[in-house]
Amino acid sequence: MPSAVQTLDISPVGRVEGDLDVRVDIQDGVVVNAWTQAELFRGFEVILRDKDPQAGLVVTPRACGICGASHLTCAAWALDTAWATTVPRNAILARNLGQIVESLQSLPRHHYGLFMIDYTNKNYAKSKYYEEAVKRWAPFTGTNYEIGVTMSGRPVEIYALLGGQWPHSSYMVPGGVMCAPTLTDVTRAWGILEHFKRNWIESVWLGCTLERYEQIKSYDDFMAWLDERPEHANSDLGLYWRMSLDIGADKYGRGVGKYISWGYLPHEDKYQKPTIEGRNAALIMKSGVYDGHADTHKLMDQKFTREDVLHAWYDEPGGLHPFDRTTKPTRKNTVDMAGKYSWSTAVRHDEDGRLEAGPLSRQLVAGGKHGEAWQHYDPLVLDIYKKLGGASVMLRHFARMHEGLALYRQAEHALREFKLNDPWYIKPTEKDGRGWGATEAIRGALCHWIEVQGGKIKNYQIIAPTTWNVGPRSADGKRGPMEEALIGAPIADPHDPVEVGHVCRSYDSCLVCTVHAHDAKTGEELARFRTA
Amino acid sequence: MANLLWLQGGACSGNTMSFLNAEEPSACDLVTDFGINILWHPSLGMELGDNLQKLLKALTSGEMPLDIFVFEGTVVNAPDGTGEWNRFAGRPMKAWVAELAKVANFTVAIGDCATWGGIPATAPNPSESEGLQFLKRNHGGFLGKDYKSKAGLPVINVPGCPAHPDWITQIVVAVATGRAGDLTLDEFQRPKTFFTSFTQTGCTRNMHFAYKVSATEFGQRKGCLFYDLGCRGPMTHSPCNRILWNRQSSKTRSGMPCLGCTEPEFPFFELMPGTVFKTQTVMGVPKDMPSGVDKAGYIKLTTAAKAASPAWAEEDIFVV
Repeated sequence: MPSAVQTLDISPVGRVEGDLDVRVDIQDGVVVNAWTQAELFRGFEVILRDKDPQAGLVVTPRACGICGASHLTCAAWALDTAWATTVPRNAILARNLGQIVESLQSLPRHHYGLFMIDYTNKNYAKSKYYEEAVKRWAPFTGTNYEIGVTMSGRPVEIYALLGGQWPHSSYMVPGGVMCAPTLTDVTRAWGILEHFKRNWIESVWLGCTLERYEQIKSYDDFMAWLDERPEHANSDLGLYWRMSLDIGADKYGRGVGKYISWGYLPHEDKYQKPTIEGRNAALIMKSGVYDGHADTHKLMDQKFTREDVLHAWYDEPGGLHPFDRTTKPTRKNTVDMAGKYSWSTAVRHDEDGRLEAGPLSRQLVAGGKHGEAWQHYDPLVLDIYKKLGGASVMLRHFARMHEGLALYRQAEHALREFKLNDPWYIKPTEKDGRGWGATEAIRGALCHWIEVQGGKIKNYQIIAPTTWNVGPRSADGKRGPMEEALIGAPIADPHDPVEVGHVCRSYDSCLVCTVHAHDAKTGEELARFRTA
Repeated sequence: MANLLWLQGGACSGNTMSFLNAEEPSACDLVTDFGINILWHPSLGMELGDNLQKLLKALTSGEMPLDIFVFEGTVVNAPDGTGEWNRFAGRPMKAWVAELAKVANFTVAIGDCATWGGIPATAPNPSESEGLQFLKRNHGGFLGKDYKSKAGLPVINVPGCPAHPDWITQIVVAVATGRAGDLTLDEFQRPKTFFTSFTQTGCTRNMHFAYKVSATEFGQRKGCLFYDLGCRGPMTHSPCNRILWNRQSSKTRSGMPCLGCTEPEFPFFELMPGTVFKTQTVMGVPKDMPSGVDKAGYIKLTTAAKAASPAWAEEDIFVV
């Protein structure tokens, strides 16, 4: 006979950048139902209304301190498409480089600062890898924690060479970039990249050269690499993989099984006349929707985006495309799991429904044969996904780290391709119109829609990766991706539900884009373990 | 050993990200070398749910001392003063802030949101946001103008969007090493050592400023950004060109106009149409003068400067 359902409210689940409230129902030690609640509303779309068309360049990077370069990228390309600008080759490269180094920064920072410290949780004391995990990954004092957190600051030094500082520069503007790097900037950037590679990627993360790692194209290749030398097995990647299997992180966190990427990094020769329609064919990293159930790939198009608000605190019609939204927050945001319970809308594809965003999505898309023949293709993660029977906490985080190495190569590409005496900026003519800019922030699909009318912003809409992932139930009652991924998670200790944290953090939610804490009515009851 | 608690209200985590870029001391050094005991931080804390609430209650009850309370982000009051649009650990964040500020030895506001309200407080301020002790230029804010922490100081304001990591770590180290008494604050409660000189102090474009040679467009390696592109370097208090960002550069060096983000009015002109990256002028004279310069003096100075301007000032001289 099944035991009673126990309800566990966790407020807050920290370390997801801003705080996320999660309610899970547990039966026999396993999560059987879940609700994710974003609890902060700052109203960036409301602030941007009636402001200068370029206000988004100042405001939106500040929506999220972690993904500011990604917001800036979207804001700039949105205006480029609205104003029909010409963006010089150098500027495309400089934007891409800024975006890439922000993502490189995030690899060790998220990995050590946010993700791995859970592996030192006392719940895992029985694992044969526990002692080594604590030695390396304990917060602040772990040997590799300190290396990782300190090294994470280096890639964004390159961002400072381009934009003056990270976070929160606005150096990308319609028509190009504000900077005009010199030879010294380029050589210094090379030095920083090499330092990052030598002192973290190769020596700590991989235990081998980048070139050796790049030979891995399949699950079998990966397993052979792991066994090839003790340096591989004992690297942070090797230990991550082995300990993840040991603690069962490969067994839960599956999610909705459908994935989105807007694609990113426009090619420097193919997007100098940016349009909404022309973007897909201009991207180095292709866009796509991967359906893991049917094993099919197709390109993603912004026109399919819809936002449901049946369970979100907005008083406006559901199912709208962002261009048609008005962003009217509900004054009284009472939590009602049967009704409205989050500031995040439920984003869906008009044909394919709820989709997961993030590095795993990008890697599953990268394994598809759709798109242009010249675009980046990488079959590894899709192969592992199939061999291991789908997504998990382990694979989601692995995909994030794996992608970083391809990004490293793209950073090198940008540095090689700068032509120092060519233009960085072509002054555009301001005009009214509609624009759309997208990219892939490290944690997933990000885009901005803008409508300029009468020389000011009529409507500005942002859909962040976290909006896709932590959205509440959609109008048809379907759970959001993270809600779905929590189903089946085993909870060893309801008073320290580290497994829920693993699932949430495997999405690297940027809840500051939407966030915070929780159920006003229950007060002290909130985080208590109670039996319903 | 000093207990430090870091919470976020209406925040983007940008100050946290900036803090993690710190070196000498790094975030890890603060813990291992300076004995800062980081009780909890939203991005770094180990505690989940229930355990965190126990910790917060131990602090507010006085059972555990709170030496340094760091707040990042605005205090959200919406809707209608309740603060329900920003709930944390089961209640409005503002309720936690009120209780924690009472027991803290030192209260530090990190970044513009916590100091003045910042971007979220931009009109129409949908989240009814304010800073801990200011809203824009108005003294008061959430804690009120008479607030003093247990050590007898008002909120220590470390503004900037974000604050530079060194500004943050140096304040924390000063407090932890018993040098809080040496902190002198300006009228906006900013540490004077950082916020007395100007952003322009040390800018590589200063010669172009002196000769009134303007960067009229972006993407150039010459020219001053003040005359046409809206740079606020000459009237903003910050050490951005003395203590470089990410150990490399600054916005104005790289070619981006200063937005004045350490001042209470940021974002200036409420981002109204025509104000972004464009110098606001009346009859060709900037509306906002370099600090302390009057209009007549400015016209005399720039007329003479323009006339004396050397030819090299119009060439690419790699100022970045």
